[in-house]
Order: sequence, then structure tokens, then C-alpha cells
Amino acid sequence: MLALVIAFLILPLAALISYQPVRELLHGFGTRVATDAILVSLKCNGIAFALMVGLGTPFAYVLARARFRGRSVVLTLVELPLVMPPAVAGLALLVAFGRFGLLGGAERALGIDLAFTQAAVILAILFVASPFYLRGAIAAFSAVDLTLVDVAATLGAGPLRRMLSVAVPVAAGGLGAAAAVAFARGLGEFGATILFAGSFQGTTQTLPLAVYSLFDANLDQAIAIGVLLIIVSAAILLTAKLLARSWNSSPTSRFPGGRSSFASG
Amino acid sequence: MLAAASLTKVFPQIDPHADYTFGGSGALETQVEQGAPADVFAAASPKQPAQLFAKGLVTRPVEFATNTLVLIVPRDNPAHIHSVNDLTRPGVKLVVCSAAVPCGDYARKAFKNLGITNAAMKNVVSQTADVTQTVADVALGQADAGLVYITDAKAAAGKVSVIRLPPRAKPNTRDFIAALTASQHRAAARAFVALVLSPSGQAQLRAAGFGKP
Repeated sequence: MLALVIAFLILPLAALISYQPVRELLHGFGTRVATDAILVSLKCNGIAFALMVGLGTPFAYVLARARFRGRSVVLTLVELPLVMPPAVAGLALLVAFGRFGLLGGAERALGIDLAFTQAAVILAILFVASPFYLRGAIAAFSAVDLTLVDVAATLGAGPLRRMLSVAVPVAAGGLGAAAAVAFARGLGEFGATILFAGSFQGTTQTLPLAVYSLFDANLDQAIAIGVLLIIVSAAILLTAKLLARSWNSSPTSRFPGGRSSFASG
Repeated sequence: MLAAASLTKVFPQIDPHADYTFGGSGALETQVEQGAPADVFAAASPKQPAQLFAKGLVTRPVEFATNTLVLIVPRDNPAHIHSVNDLTRPGVKLVVCSAAVPCGDYARKAFKNLGITNAAMKNVVSQTADVTQTVADVALGQADAGLVYITDAKAAAGKVSVIRLPPRAKPNTRDFIAALTASQHRAAARAFVALVLSPSGQAQLRAAGFGKP
């Protein structure tokens, strides 16, 4: 039974990787289309990730700890993009931020045109990936022992210091895991990106979009880029797992996996 | 039935009971090559069916309609484009299909025939995977202009305005249809092709804006 599940998960990956000889695969990695797509993907996902963590962490902290009227509504809104099919998300972004969308007039007045720009790619990634991070971050912060934060308060730490010096390190395992999932989701984002930002090599064509456009022209190259995507995603997930494990085994974490001050004797 | 995106509205009118998958002719060709269980392949160009015929994957392709490449702009034409030469103006946001899709191939050929390739391609901001996406980009006002078939422009009538290309752009295109040799329903496939070529099928195509084969 377990073997069946593992086989189901591994078979498509193995098929993809073994489709062509390694030499051709490596050649596919080095083509202009591939390198352009890598640069676009890493740049847009990097910026989106920085925004997501930079703005999302304090937001999640407040949401986790504060109690206010309408909190559950906000929590539901945060999770909404999760259940939106990416194409619908792309459509929603278009009618909100598109040239003739809800904010189109305001954007025009400010001289901003988002159509077919990298900014649009970043927005699309942010929209679909943030719920993954926010959800995990809220859960991680909610699990932080209240007394730790209160003690910090009594020692004179302000709210920002309490969050950065106490809550974040303690919640780091959960935050890291949530960030990893969100980044992987953002890297694979396709539907919202292609609808909202279009696809143009070197500007908006991310790795998933490159796979799609090559499907018509050159199947071998499409597969090579697909394998590249898998390798990059796997590397990120592995790094996140290792980071989470090293955090969890430090003495100040809630569930020490390694050395524990109570384990001796 | 695997059919080019330009046939999205008219094929179901010809035969409402068939199962259709519409998309870029190149992507559909790849699916046939990979053994997709389809019965008929209809493309917006002679190239893809000919390539499949050379590999023995389809029967001899038959031309069933012609189409015309036109320039479309959003209805209120924010970039004030009135002719194909306006496409060379810097800053115009032009959307075309990618080169592997017939519509994109025709667009590039038209640019070449008009001698505006460099200037026009500089304005391309997105390359779509099928012609219906190009239409959508222009209809939604995201792009200033796009090159699509006149049948697509007709289908999006309220939202886009059409600018015909000059004859020297050679904007005429040809649609081909063929049955898959690996089809499990050879008789039904043949019947569908016959229906498309029949007077009633041709009348539907004419009504949608397609030309005679």
C-alpha cells in the first residue's frame, strides 16, 4: 500500500527525468529560453517572497495574538485565494488592477501601467502564494507560549522587540515550513500569471510559462525546463526542511528535537 | 475532436454532440504525437496536419476553410491605431501568438511581407499560446492591438474593432482537417470530416466568417 503511494508520486517525476539522455537535458538547461526563464522566475519570486515575509510576518503576528471584531472574517479572507482556481485568481487580478479594471483609472492617473510587466508577475505570485505563508505563520504564532512573550514585556521589551526577539525565533520552525510551501507554490504559479501578466521571454515568462510555450514548439526543451523546475523546487524544500530541523533542535524551541534541558537525568 | 482555437464557436454549431478540445494547433499536434485518444485533428494551417501525415498519424489532410488575418484593437482604441503601420510606433502594446502557433506564424509572415518586422516585434509584450487568448487580451483592453483571425474578431464583435491588413501582407490562411489513423472510431471520424465539408457545414463556417477552401 505504501509502496503504491510512493510509486504514484515518484513515477511521473522519474518519467520526466528519464525522458531524454542527461546530455540533452543539460543542453536544454543552458538554452536562452531556459536561462531567461530562470532569471525571471528567481527575480519575481524573490521579490514576492521578500514582500510576503516582510509584510506578512507582522500581519500574521497581529492576527494570531489580537482579538478584534471581524477577526474571523479577516482570517477567512486570508485563506480565500487558496480555494480560488489560479485562472479565476488571474481574472480577479485583471478586473481589479487591469488597465480597465477597478483601479485602472487610479493607476493611469499615477502613471502606472501594470499590463504585461514584471510587477504584474510579482502581484500574481503574491496573491496566490501569500495565503500559504499567512496560514502557517498564524498557526505558528498562535502556538507560541504566551508566558514567554509576557515575560519579555515585563523585562521592558516593546511590541516590535517582543515579536522579533521572542515570538519569531520560537515560531521559526513553523514560519520556515510555511515560507517554504509558499515559495514552492509561487515558483510553480501559472494560471494567474499567464492571465494577468502575459508571457514574454525575458520579461514575464517564468519557468512554468516557458514550459507551456515550449509545449507547442519543442517538447524536449519543455521537458528539460520542467525537470529544472523540479530540481529548483526540491532544493528549496530540502533547504527548508534542514533549516526547520536545526531550529527545532535548539534549546529555546517548544519541542526540542535534539538536546533538551530536561532530557538529562 | 482536437481543433484549433479559432474553431471554438463554429465547430460545436456544426456538430453539437462531439467532444471537443480546442487549443493552439501546435499543442494539439504534440498531443497527437504523444498518442492522445482523439479521432479528428483540425488545424489553422497546413503545417501541423502535414507533419502528422508525414509521420503516418493522420489520413491525408483536406482543406476545409480559409481565414483572414486581421488587426484588432480594443473598441475605444486607446492607442489610436488606424492602420498596420501604427504598430511600428514606439510604446504600442502588441500581442501576437507565439511562433509555434499558426496565428503567430501568419502574423510574423505578414510583418515580413509588409517590411515592418523589427519595429513591430519590438512592440510585442506577450506571446500567447492560442488565438483566443490574444483576442481576450485585446478585448479586455490590456493590449493596444493584436493579430487574430477575422472569425475571432467577429466572435468578439462588441469588444474589438477590426482593421484589415493590406493585400500585400498576404493575410489569407488555410484550415486543414484530417482523421487520426489510431482513432478507435474511424467511421465517426470520417462522418465528422464529411459533415464539415458538406454544404450545411460549409454554410456554418461561412456564417462565422470563414472563406471557401
